[in-house]
Formats: sequence, C-alpha cells, structure tokens
Amino acid sequence: MIYVTDGSFEGILTAVFEAYVNKEEPESIVSKEFFQMQLGSEVREIKTDSERSHRVNNAIKNKVSQDALEIIYRAWLSEHNDVGVAIYKYIKLGLQIGSRVVSFLQNPDILMVNDLSQKVFQEYHLFLGILRFKKLKNGIYYSKIEPDNNIIMLLTVHFAERMADQPWIIHDARRNISALYNTEEVVYTMQKEIRISEDICEDSVFETLWKNYFQSIAIESRKNLRLQRSFMPRRYWKNLPEKQL
Amino acid sequence: MEILDKLKILADSAKYDVSCSSSGSNRKNKKGQLGNAAISGICHSWADDGRCISLLKVLFSNCCIYDCKYCVNRASNDHKRATFTPDELCELAIEFYRRNYIEGLFLSSAVVKSPDYTMELIISTLKKLRYDFHFNGYIHIKSIPGADLKLIHQAGLLADRMSTNIELPSVQGLKLLAPQKSHQSIIKPMAFVNEQIQDSNELTIYRKKQLFVPAGQTTQLIVGATPDSDLTILNLSQELYNRFRLKRVYYSAYVPVNVDTNLPAITTSPPLLREHRIYQADWLLRFYGFNSHELLDEKHPSFDIGVDPKCDWALRNLDKFPVEINKAPLEMLLRVPGIGYKMAQRIVMARRIAPLSYEDLKKMRVVLKRARYFITCKGVYYGGVDIDTEVLYPILADKTSSKVMQGQVSIFDAS
Repeated sequence: MIYVTDGSFEGILTAVFEAYVNKEEPESIVSKEFFQMQLGSEVREIKTDSERSHRVNNAIKNKVSQDALEIIYRAWLSEHNDVGVAIYKYIKLGLQIGSRVVSFLQNPDILMVNDLSQKVFQEYHLFLGILRFKKLKNGIYYSKIEPDNNIIMLLTVHFAERMADQPWIIHDARRNISALYNTEEVVYTMQKEIRISEDICEDSVFETLWKNYFQSIAIESRKNLRLQRSFMPRRYWKNLPEKQL
Repeated sequence: MEILDKLKILADSAKYDVSCSSSGSNRKNKKGQLGNAAISGICHSWADDGRCISLLKVLFSNCCIYDCKYCVNRASNDHKRATFTPDELCELAIEFYRRNYIEGLFLSSAVVKSPDYTMELIISTLKKLRYDFHFNGYIHIKSIPGADLKLIHQAGLLADRMSTNIELPSVQGLKLLAPQKSHQSIIKPMAFVNEQIQDSNELTIYRKKQLFVPAGQTTQLIVGATPDSDLTILNLSQELYNRFRLKRVYYSAYVPVNVDTNLPAITTSPPLLREHRIYQADWLLRFYGFNSHELLDEKHPSFDIGVDPKCDWALRNLDKFPVEINKAPLEMLLRVPGIGYKMAQRIVMARRIAPLSYEDLKKMRVVLKRARYFITCKGVYYGGVDIDTEVLYPILADKTSSKVMQGQVSIFDAS
C-alpha cells in the first residue's frame, strides 16, 4: 500500500493515523508532488485532517517525548524520498517503547530519521551564519538562500529574534517560499519569482568593506582552501558576497 | 585616512589572534532592539586559511608604545599605523551585523599612550554600542595588561567575553621577548576577572542578574616562539583551567614576522602540526577527563608527530585495553582512540536497549578504523593483530601527517 499525502507535516501525521485506523502497513508514504504510479501497488490518498494530525502530534509529545517530536519534524524538513515511511516506523516503535526510542540507533529506521534530522539541523546551523542580507533602497534587508533542506521556518525564528528592529525578507529561491518580517510578525508567501535588480540595492559600500575584511583576516602562510571548503561547501558560495568573483 | 584603509590595516594587525569564538553567552534581545547572542556560537564565514570568521576582529589601534619582539605591531617596526574613532568602529560593527556578516565584535588594541588610556577608548566604544545603538550582540574584548582594575571592571559589565593574552608560556620567555610587560600585569587581571565572574554568579540569588563577562575569559599562548616544550605549555593550560576557570586556551603557531636574534629565523614555517597536537591534547583535558601529566611527563616532554595524543597515551597504557564496548564506563569509552565524545554518548545510550555487536557499531557509523584495536564487542576482539605497541604503532601512525607537513612549506621562500 502506498500512501500519498499533500506533502505537509500534518499530512504525514494524518497518514500515520490512517495506518492505525485501517490496520495497514504502508510500504511508502510520499507527497503527491513526487509520487510516481507503480504497477501492482495499491494507493491510498490521504486527506490532511488537522484534528487527526493533532492527535498523533499529542500522542508523540505525551507518550514518546518532545525530543522525539522535534527529531521527526526536522527529519521531515529534509524532503528525503523515504522519510515518510521511516517516520511512520519511528512513531510506531516510539509508541511501543516510549522515550527510549530516540537512542535505539541499532534500528535502521530510527537511525535514518536521526541522521536526516541531524543533517537538517547542521544545515540550519550553518545558515544562521552564512545567510547574507542586502540592504535595499527602501530600507528592507533582503536575503536569497538555496538550502538543500526546507529550513526557512527554522531560520525565521532566529532572525525575528535577532534582527528584531529591521524589516527583512528571506527568500528560498529553490522552493519559492519567502518569509516577510515587518518588525512585528513573520508571514510566508509562495510568490513564484522575486527579482531584485541591482539598482534597488543600496549595498556596495559595506559589501566592499566586508570583502576586504575577508581578504585581510586570512593568514597567508596558513592558507588551506580545502579546509575552507569542508566548512563552507562550494554550492553555497553563489549567495556569499565574499566568495563571488 | 579612508575607512577602507583603516579596516585593512587594523584587521591585518589583529589576524594573529586566533580566538574567534562567539559561544557561551546568552545575552537576550531586548524587545525591538538589535541583536542577541547564541549560546552555541555561530560561524559566519571561513577565511582562506580555513579559520572561522565569527566576529569582526580588529584592533582599535596599532600604534603601540611597547616593543615586544615577537609582535608585528611593535614600536620599532616600520609599519602602516592607523586608529579608529569609536564612531567609525560602531558603524562598521552595526552595519556588518545587520547584514548577518558577523556575530559581533572582537576588539583588541595596541597600547596607545598608556594601558589606562587604551582601556578607556575601548570602554567608550562599548558604551556607544550598548547604549546608543542598543546593540545586544556578542562582544569580546582584550583587557590591556597593566590597565587599572576599575577600568577592567567597567569593561566587563559591557562585554560578553574578556581575554588576557599570556602569549609566552614561561616567565623566562616573557622577560626575553616582552620585557615591558610583567608576568604580574597579566596574571592579576585574570585573577580579578575570575573573582568578579564568581561574584556576579552569586549575586543573582539576591537580585536581578548583573552580567559580568557571561561568556567567561580566555587566553592565547604562542607555540614555537620560545624553546618551551609541549609539557610546559600543557601544564600551564591545565593550571589556567583549574585556577582561573578559563573557558578556552588558544594556541597560535608562531608566524615569524620580525627579525631578532632571540626569535626563530624569519624563514621558519609556522609549526602547524605541533599546534594541532596541542589542540587535540587541550580537548582531552577539557572534555575527555585527561590530566596533563597523563599525556606528557619529564621523560616524554613532547607529543609524537605520528600519532594523536590519545593514541599516544593508549599505546603507552595497553594494559588497560581492550575494553568491552557493552560494559566499559563512559569515562573509559572516551579514552578509546577513534571514539569521540558524541560517539561515546551514542554507544552508552544505545547499549541500554540491547547489547551492541560489531555490526551494530558499524551501522551506528562508529568509526572503527582505529577503535577496533582497542575494544571487544560481546567479548570478541576484531583487531586481528596482537595488542602490542610495536605492532600497533605503524598501523595507527597518521598517514595524513605528510599532507599537513606540505602545508607548512614556507611562503617566505622569496625572501
């Protein structure tokens, strides 16, 4: 049986609920965006239901642990093909053995969810540092990001606390999701395309200063570009002013 | 002078200070203001030398009245000089911060006119940042050796971290290379700051918390400018951690910048591998429960270049191995070469559910390349060779060390 969801986190939790109700073992839980029909397998379409997902959510929180819920949520943000069914198995085992499930790393499903969760966390932590704002002429700070994982919701929490007194936009150009902050609250939009032309940017002065600082701070006799790349992989460079040629 | 030129000169002068950590402070954002600190620290970029850039690391000024022999900013050097104004520096820090280039400011300075005068310049900059710009981001400052303790106290109320660099690991070295600084002028502020931190922690019981360097204090030691051994350096670090509760001791491989008969020749390349080994040992002191005298002693005063300090220790204590992965206490797992802090914790957690086999360890992605010679799983040894120093040393010797050595090739070849 293949479960097809709308791709949301609530969708996955609803799928878990349905599996329990229908006494089924889904072999895979995928979002309809990535779903490909396969011969010979049954398909159940899952309608996201906020009450049902809420019940699963609370069951995890109360019967497993808050930690487990956070691990599952972050793993889901990885958008990995197989994460759906691994989450299902994680929850199922968690409801059987309780909070100990988070350390049951001998189990491949638990390990997978754990690893994905860690990867997402690592990228999120990296982006707390390497996300760059450009100041636009209208006073808004704009940032374009292209992360591997869908981390924008995690990032906005941090930046709303930190850059509390300045309006900003964080734009995930890979997923076409933007977060807008007006110094009061964050809202999300799915705008297809945001184009920031050079003439509305105010920013050459401080960008130049930053690029120069970046050059001056390196010790020439310790040059180690491999080490630099291992911390800051090349695929992230195109949104970093100091790394643009 | 243009701000761009000042920035270049004063960042260039600050780069030999290795500390760039922004961790340990939980300064909060005050509603509607700019900035906060992240307890784990955040790196914002990595320079071409692979070191992380977290803070805007600059000197307030590089016009120094002292003439410390090892230092690039010594008075007798013919060198471009510059001094920021507090306003320039604040603008740079704030504008960089708003663009998320940095986590905060690391402000140090050469000694301008006098230690007190310099400290006052630093304090006035900090006051502007905190009170005029309402900046709650991370600030690390250097306490200037010889400055009045009252000034150090004022600065401590504004900064997140304070450091006093010892630089030279022995009193003899200090006399030889920095005759104008006294040993006392370095130790006194360190002891003072430690007391103040303890005090501010106690005060919190009675009244609203008054932050005093919430991220603690650190120092830096130069490796390879003086003939001091690894043993001297590591013993000093251990004492600093115990006596002054330092958060970190940083080590900086000496990069020759000056010619002097008491210094290594200008063509010497920085001892990067030695620095690396000392850092590994420092980690063992702070997180792995080792003591400096276990790692080194009079008979064995420096680290083996071929193997890391933990391996080196294990090879000298083979009677303690192999350890059973399902029974050994955490402290002992931490001493197994190849098993890091996180892995040891993972193992302890996982074995509570079911005993672990060698295959389980592989699945959990424990790196067994080195560990397998030191452990048993459910009583079975998977090393495949005798547990013997002669046999194990060549297997464990660091093959990458040849790569590290390559990086040490001097760039001063031209001179």
